Amino acid sequence: MLLFRSEQHVDRWCAQWNRSRGGTLSLAQGWKLAKLWYGDRLSPRWKPYNAEQAQSVFRQVGLVGEFWKLAP
Amino acid sequence: MSAERQFADGQLDEGVRFFVYQQILRSEKSPTVAEIAKSLACSPRRIRESLARLSESHAFMLQEKGELWRAAPFSCIPTSFPVKVGKRSWFANCIWDALGIPAMLGKDARIDASCGCCNYEMPVEVKNGRLTSDKGLIHIAVPAREWYKDVVFT
Repeated sequence: MLLFRSEQHVDRWCAQWNRSRGGTLSLAQGWKLAKLWYGDRLSPRWKPYNAEQAQSVFRQVGLVGEFWKLAP
Repeated sequence: MSAERQFADGQLDEGVRFFVYQQILRSEKSPTVAEIAKSLACSPRRIRESLARLSESHAFMLQEKGELWRAAPFSCIPTSFPVKVGKRSWFANCIWDALGIPAMLGKDARIDASCGCCNYEMPVEVKNGRLTSDKGLIHIAVPAREWYKDVVFT
C-alpha cells in the first residue's frame, strides 16, 4: 500500500511493475481506516477482526466493491 | 538454571504479544526470539510456536529465520515508511501501517513518506488527531482477498 502524488503516478507505477490498476483511497480515508484498524491494538483484550468485521470497517471508510471483498 | 515457566498457549500468546509491543514502544526495535524467551522464562521453541500462532492473523509476520518481520503496525526491519513520534521513531511496512502508528498511540506524528512512483518526498503529518494535509493518493495493487498471498505488492 503505497502513497502517490497523483493518479498519473499510480498509472506509471503500475506500468513500471506490469501490474493492473488496483484500489485507491484518499489519504483521509487511509487515516480513518488506520484509526478503525489500529485504534485498539494495544488493548490486552484485542482480537483480530474476522472477515465480516473487517468488511464492516472497509464499508465505514467507503471501501466497497469487488476489489475490497474479503470473501469470494 | 531457572525452571521454564508453565503457560497455557493462550496465556503465553497474550504475554508474548504484550511483551513484543512493550519492547518496540520502549526501545524502538523489536525483540528477538531469544530476548522474548529470556524475559518470559520460556524456551525459544515455545516462543517460536507462540509467534507462529500469533502470525495466523497476519498481525505478526515472521522472517524466514523465525524472527519478527512485522508486529502490525510496526515493521521490525527498516522500510521506506519511517514514522516519528516526538523523539521516538519506528518503521512501518506501508502507508496504512504508518498511519496506524499515530492511530494506535493517539499521538502526533510525522511520516517521511515519498511517492511510490518517483520518490518525490511527501511527508504526512498528524496533529491533534487530524491530518494536516490530504494531498496524495493511496494505491493498493492487490485485491483484498489476496493481500496475504502477495504481501510485498500489497
